[in-house]
Amino acid sequence: MSESHDLSASRVAILGCGGLGSNVASMLVRAGVGSLTLVDFDRVELGNLNRQLYFRDELGQMKTDALSHTLWRIDPNVALRLETVCICPENLLELVRGADVIVEAVDGAEAKAMIMNECLARLPDVPLVAASGLAGLGSANAVVTRRMAENLYVVGDLTSDVRDGLPLFASRVMIAAAHEAHAVIRVLMGYPEL
Amino acid sequence: MNVDVALFASLTAFQPDGQAGRHARTFSVPAGTRIAEVISMLSLPDQPRVIFVNGRHAPEDQKLCEGDRLAIFPPVAGG
Repeated sequence: MSESHDLSASRVAILGCGGLGSNVASMLVRAGVGSLTLVDFDRVELGNLNRQLYFRDELGQMKTDALSHTLWRIDPNVALRLETVCICPENLLELVRGADVIVEAVDGAEAKAMIMNECLARLPDVPLVAASGLAGLGSANAVVTRRMAENLYVVGDLTSDVRDGLPLFASRVMIAAAHEAHAVIRVLMGYPEL
Repeated sequence: MNVDVALFASLTAFQPDGQAGRHARTFSVPAGTRIAEVISMLSLPDQPRVIFVNGRHAPEDQKLCEGDRLAIFPPVAGG
């Protein structure tokens, strides 16, 4: 069990910089994580501002670029590797290379399953923190962190699906993001159990 | 042989004993049954899923052994 709270040597890869990933990134920088890889192919749109860590004057910018400037305003010393690409099985290992923990923060169910399956099969020793079930107006208290497998932590209520027409509220998305960030911090600090 | 099957989220509607709930159920299958065959026996829908055996990720063509704990988790969209 670590006695130090210094996370400056820690490296975390964040796959997706939307409602989950942008907020996870800010919390990890505030916690002192020294190095982040930010992966997203998309641009900032007006519809993102209800829950994602972007601003009106960033509309049209690549999310990776916009988020990097916000994170450097929090800590100018944080090392950021920006990857403005679509995540696929062919590039996934390179995108997460060197990470102590991987964060799944994409929105599609297929992409979530692909990331979990590829990471757990090909990088079984690297902890993965994922999210499933954070849409809608369900109780905040239904969003929890589960250790689903030896190196897989899953945040959410497991069932609330945007494909069922449920909207995404900043409050519940950020609760899930905070669960993801805290799971990362606990794993990095040497507390792998929930 | 007997294996324990745990189904999550929407898959709880396909529990082997037909009863709702997330807890694991014991399921009797022929020796050497593969995970894909269990998926077929339970008529699980074709949707993105992540599979574990005894807490470790497992491919669908893996053969199960007596007492294995099989868990199947379908991620849902939103982020």
